[in-house]
Amino acid sequence: MSFLEYQVKTVPGGLRKVFYLNWPLVVLVAAVSSVGFLVLYSIAGGNLSVWAEPQMKRFGVGMVLMFAIAFVPIWFWRNMAGLAYGITILLLLAVEFFGVVGMGAQRWLDIGPLRLQPSELMKVTMVMMLAAYYDWLDLKKTSRPLWVLIPVLIILIPTFLVVIQPNLGTSLMLLMGGAAVMFAAGVSIWYFAAVAALVGGLVVAVFTTRGTPWQFLHDYQYRRIDTFLDPSADPLGAGYNIMQAKIALGSGGWGGKGFMQGTQSRLNFLPEKHTDFIFTTLGEEFGFVGAFSLLILYGLILFFCFTSALQNKDRFSQLLIIGLAANFFLYLAVNLSMVMGMAPVVGVPLPFLSYGGSVMLVLLIAFGLIQSAHVHRPR
Amino acid sequence: MIRTPLRPLARILSARQKGENPDTIERENLRLRHEEIRDRGRARAEVRLLFLSLGFLAAFSTIGARMGLLAATEPVEPRSAAAGAQILATRADITDRNGRILATNMQTYALYAQPRDMVDPGRVARELAKIFPEIDPVAMERRLTDGRTFLWIRRVMSPEQMQRVHEIGDPGLLFGPREMRLYPNGQLAAHVLGGASFGAEGVSSAEVIGTAGIEKALDARLRDPAQAGTPLELSLDLTLQAAVEEILGTGMTMLNAKGAAAILMDVKTGEILSLASLPAFDPNDRPNPLVKGDPGDSPLFNRAVQGVYELGSTFKIFTVANAMNLGLVSPETMVDANAPRRWGKFTIKEFQNKNYGPLLSVENVIVKSSNVGTANIALMVGAERQAAFFQSLGFFDPTVIELVEAPGAKPIVPKRWPDITTITTSYGHGISASPMHLAVAYAAIANGGVKVTPTLLHGGVAQNGPRVMTAETAAASVRMLRGVVEHGTATLGDVPGYQVAGKTGTAEKPSRTGGYDEDKVVNTFASLFPADDPKYVLVVTLDEPVETSGSEPRRTAGWTAVPVAGEIIRRAAPLLGLRPVVEPPPVDGLTAVSN
Repeated sequence: MSFLEYQVKTVPGGLRKVFYLNWPLVVLVAAVSSVGFLVLYSIAGGNLSVWAEPQMKRFGVGMVLMFAIAFVPIWFWRNMAGLAYGITILLLLAVEFFGVVGMGAQRWLDIGPLRLQPSELMKVTMVMMLAAYYDWLDLKKTSRPLWVLIPVLIILIPTFLVVIQPNLGTSLMLLMGGAAVMFAAGVSIWYFAAVAALVGGLVVAVFTTRGTPWQFLHDYQYRRIDTFLDPSADPLGAGYNIMQAKIALGSGGWGGKGFMQGTQSRLNFLPEKHTDFIFTTLGEEFGFVGAFSLLILYGLILFFCFTSALQNKDRFSQLLIIGLAANFFLYLAVNLSMVMGMAPVVGVPLPFLSYGGSVMLVLLIAFGLIQSAHVHRPR
Repeated sequence: MIRTPLRPLARILSARQKGENPDTIERENLRLRHEEIRDRGRARAEVRLLFLSLGFLAAFSTIGARMGLLAATEPVEPRSAAAGAQILATRADITDRNGRILATNMQTYALYAQPRDMVDPGRVARELAKIFPEIDPVAMERRLTDGRTFLWIRRVMSPEQMQRVHEIGDPGLLFGPREMRLYPNGQLAAHVLGGASFGAEGVSSAEVIGTAGIEKALDARLRDPAQAGTPLELSLDLTLQAAVEEILGTGMTMLNAKGAAAILMDVKTGEILSLASLPAFDPNDRPNPLVKGDPGDSPLFNRAVQGVYELGSTFKIFTVANAMNLGLVSPETMVDANAPRRWGKFTIKEFQNKNYGPLLSVENVIVKSSNVGTANIALMVGAERQAAFFQSLGFFDPTVIELVEAPGAKPIVPKRWPDITTITTSYGHGISASPMHLAVAYAAIANGGVKVTPTLLHGGVAQNGPRVMTAETAAASVRMLRGVVEHGTATLGDVPGYQVAGKTGTAEKPSRTGGYDEDKVVNTFASLFPADDPKYVLVVTLDEPVETSGSEPRRTAGWTAVPVAGEIIRRAAPLLGLRPVVEPPPVDGLTAVSN
């Protein structure tokens, strides 16, 4: 039950596709990225060449890639889903054996000048695969156990490969992103309830047995979990980043200190200030007004993705857009909660702001797919 | 779900009657069915989408609210609540008079184990044995597995050892921060500093307490949190101390002495500039006290303060000074010096059975060190006044100095004073005192007759102690002492330009069998310099020295303690900033004429 049943004739062809792009989305993405350049320029102390310029170049390349993907019909991407998924799995395996160890974790694959993080790419190809699967699957079978098991495996295989890298943040995002696609595809709510109950029960079991002879973990493992969940208990160790980030945000106040006036971030109180913790600089220099404006920009991006998904009658397109949007949401929600001390510190970048090549490229590829689905939607 | 049959017979039949193709109806049915399913699916997807967006909206609101909350709060610098980060008042440093470090603290770590958290006690025990050779892996494993919850492994360790323990990587091995006392100069001034060790120990800290010397005597001051930032400044001069210890050590070796002590003291302020006792020890690694034998032979024994010896002829000047002070004699008075002199059943002899008699001037009694002459002067003074004078010089009480050992070193004073005691004490026998006592008494002569209290703390001002003799007496005594060095028993101690004055003393040690042991002597040279305006007193004591360069072994102070003291003054005087007084060469016949 696919787009082939619709009238493909109504899909625009050639360069006319430009007029059918989701332009608000393009503008919003460019706007958020520009905020990123501004903050990177400020963190480098008014130096363009340190972080802002490489980031701009990546953005330029990524935009070209995005438009190229948008012009290719969405059914081509549907047919490619299985292949893309398989290749990414192979890349993940390659990282496992040939990867470069950085920041204590195996994450990168050095291919000439390009540094590839297959785990980032996986977020896109896994969503493609799941969407293609549900597009192919008879709607009636959606909630049958056997047909639920297959997408679960599609999610768990890459999650496992990412967890052993080890990269907890990305693997959690894969799990939640996959679950979002399954949820949108209409898998019975009881499956989700059962998994939630199981995880909750396990957590309760682990923590209620603490201190009894039947405890599941060693004492020191419990203590590590404590610090992981509440970094403020160890402000000079694990909680250092969080405390400094909170100070930066607090010192920004409502109006901020002004562009290029941040001290917490510029005086090197903050490690990772240009990557995962870039939001703190924004908060310090532009205050609540700036931070909240960014949040609204992100919200608008998600809003346009969702309206596009609702307009789209093609099942693959719809699930793809929802899955990618959910991923985008997870990026920013996890990052912002982490920076503001509401979630444990896991290495998740802030989309379009954090300095980094793989994430920027992967995000623009994702938005290229969303645009393609939008342009080639059945009318 | 109730299924609609695809080919309801009634409809097929009626269709046939109308002449329609039932297959068309079937296809139409199928299409409707598919559309229905698809619409249901889409409706469901839209509901799900709505749920998702509601979830996202909730998350967004939370994040936005959090942003507002953070923007509204005043930033607070983090304060550590974790254990181990508690700020501990550290022990104050000890410096010399120029601020050079004598004792400081070093951050180190103690190692302890919590065997319950241990993953593999056997491996831990083996790895620990590799790092610390004194650990027996079998015994350690037994201790780690016998069910105890806590175990100290090492009190202190080096950073390298700590890193290696870290690399074992067992969660049951833990480190407790330790503040360790460090003496960067090793053996220098060891007896003054004493040493420190750990008192009450906890996991996150341990108190450092002084165990000897000034560390123990001033323990409260050093531990006072209010003064932790202010170093304790001693009167010692590190450079002088090093020079004194070096020369004293060399002299001790060359003269085959088993021990030596030296005290250099400012005569006006009572400040001790150098205090040395050999053999010494390293306060960083304090040796254990001797279990058996004479504690006086332990390197821990401070001969300068704790060592109580008969100081011999050095006492003669006190007898003479007392007599001059009382107006009984003047330096030129002639006294009977016929030797040997009999007193009751005792016979008083001179050194090597010489006879300086029949008459000897008081000055020559000192210069030639006549026992008989001194004895006769003492008899003129009388027991009561002699004892009182000794007491006024401080020979009856322990010295008051900032060392924990000082109060325990009580001089040995005769209980009764019959005339024979008056005679023997007049030349330093039958009364024992420490070199420190002697330095204090000589300082009184050197500074013009005022008794000073010795101190190890810097910043001393000229003391207005009790006057023990008139300034004239003191000056006359100094002149006599200068004579001893110029043409008496201490000529080897003369240092050109610094006008050394002093008195030798050679006392035979009491032997174990009773009486005195002729081969075992304590040589002392008490000196002051420069003689025209004495500023410093130097007391050098050698324990059982013997000078062997001559045909016969020589054991008198003039051959042992005096040259050592002379060498010390030669090195110390420039360091003390004294300007040598060089006498101009005598001008003979020719006179320079200027045209």
